[in-house]
Amino acid sequence: MDEFEFFLEKQWSDGFPVVTPTEERVARMLAGTRAEPDQALGDIPPAMGPATVRTVAIHAVMAGCKPEYLPILLGAIPLLLRPELNLNAVQGTMGSAAPLLIVNGPYAKQVGLNGGNGCFGPGFRANASIGRAIRLMLTNLGSGIPGIGSSTVFASPLRYTACLTENMELSPWESLAVARGYAPDANVITCAMVDPPRYGFDDFSTEPGRLLTGIADSMSALNMMNMSVPRCAMVVAMCPTQARICAQAGMGRAAVVERLRELAGRPVRELRRGGTWRTERAEKLNIDFHNEDLFVPAIKHPDDLHLIVAGGLGPITAVLPGWGGGSIAVHGEYEV
Amino acid sequence: MEIKGFIDPTFSAVQAKVPPARRPASLAGKVIGLLDNTKEGADIILQTIGDALVERYGAARAVIRKKEMFSKVAAPEIINEMAGEVQIAVAALGG
Repeated sequence: MDEFEFFLEKQWSDGFPVVTPTEERVARMLAGTRAEPDQALGDIPPAMGPATVRTVAIHAVMAGCKPEYLPILLGAIPLLLRPELNLNAVQGTMGSAAPLLIVNGPYAKQVGLNGGNGCFGPGFRANASIGRAIRLMLTNLGSGIPGIGSSTVFASPLRYTACLTENMELSPWESLAVARGYAPDANVITCAMVDPPRYGFDDFSTEPGRLLTGIADSMSALNMMNMSVPRCAMVVAMCPTQARICAQAGMGRAAVVERLRELAGRPVRELRRGGTWRTERAEKLNIDFHNEDLFVPAIKHPDDLHLIVAGGLGPITAVLPGWGGGSIAVHGEYEV
Repeated sequence: MEIKGFIDPTFSAVQAKVPPARRPASLAGKVIGLLDNTKEGADIILQTIGDALVERYGAARAVIRKKEMFSKVAAPEIINEMAGEVQIAVAALGG
C-alpha cells in the first residue's frame, strides 16, 4: 500500500498526508534537542498516551517540522498539561476551542515563526507544522478524535494548527511575554484555549476611543461564553496599524488592555436577550444580576485578556473568544 | 513499534485494557450513587432519576454528591466517600 494512504487509513493523521515517521527521520528530528529521547513530559488526556521526547519527535516528523522546531514543542507539552489549562476537558468538550500557542522571544524569530501578514493562515512552515504536531499528539496520544474522545459539535480550523508569534518588527509595544514580566531575551510560550478569530474591520477610526469601542463590541457577543462565566481567556490580536493609533495617542499595552476591559461588556438587561446567559450561570459570577443596569464585563479577571500585536498593516483586529468550561491560559519559558 | 518500516505514532502497544465494572442484576435494596457534574439542571435531573430508581426499581436510596466543577475530575474524597457508601454509582451529566 502507498505509505500516505496507509497513515490516512489508520486515522493517525488530521486528514492530510503526513511525513511517514521512520527511525531515520525521527533520529534526525531528535538532533534538534539535547534532551534524552525517553524523557517523559506527561500523558495526553483523555487516553493518557505518553508524551516523551521521542513521541513528540515522531509527531514533529509527521507534521513536517524542522528539527529546530522541536524545542518549541517540547516546551509546549508541559504547558498544555498544566491543570489550570484543563486540556482533558477541552479534548472532550462540545465546544471548538484549540490550544493557541503564542511564541515570544528571539527563538521564535530564529526559526521563522510568522507574526505578520497572514499569520493565522497557510503558507508558513513553522506556524503550520508546530501547531499541526500539537494537534496530531492530541489525536494520536490523547484520542481527542470526534466521536471517540471528543464530542465537539463543529471543531474549527484552529484544530488543524494554531501557532504564531507577535509582529515585533511593527509593534509599538513590548511583547506579551515582556508585559508578563519575562526578560526580552527569554523564550516564552503562552497557550490559551480559544475559538477561531472573529475579524473586525475599522478603516475610519483615527483615535483610540472609537477604535477600541468597535473592538470591544466584538469582544462581547451574547453567545460567547466569555460573557457569562467567571474565568475565560480571550486573545485580541491587533494589527500593527491599529496598535499604532493607540500608541500615538500615548496608550501603552496595559492602558489598552484596561480600556478594553472597561468597554467590552453589556448590562444584564441585554445579556438576558439571548446567548449564553442563564440564571444558574449568573449565580456563579458573584454579582447582583437582579440589577438590570449592572454592567457585566466580558473580561472579568485581568489575566484573562491576552493582547498581542500581529498580522500585517491594515484596518483589522482579530478577537478570539475563549473556552468557557474552566480553562485559564498558561505561559512559561522553554529551553532551546 | 515499527510497522512496514514506519513507526506507529499511537501508544496502542502500551495500552492497558480496563474492563467495565460488572453490572448488577437488580437494583432492589441497593444504595445508588449519583454524581452531579454541576452543569445547569443536573441537580434537578438527578433528583428525579434518584426518586424514580427508588420508586420503580426498589433501590434503597439515592446518594447525590456534587463535583467541584463539571470540567474537572471528581476529588478523591468524593470518590472514596461514594465507594464506601453506595453499591452502584452513575456519573451523570446536566446540560
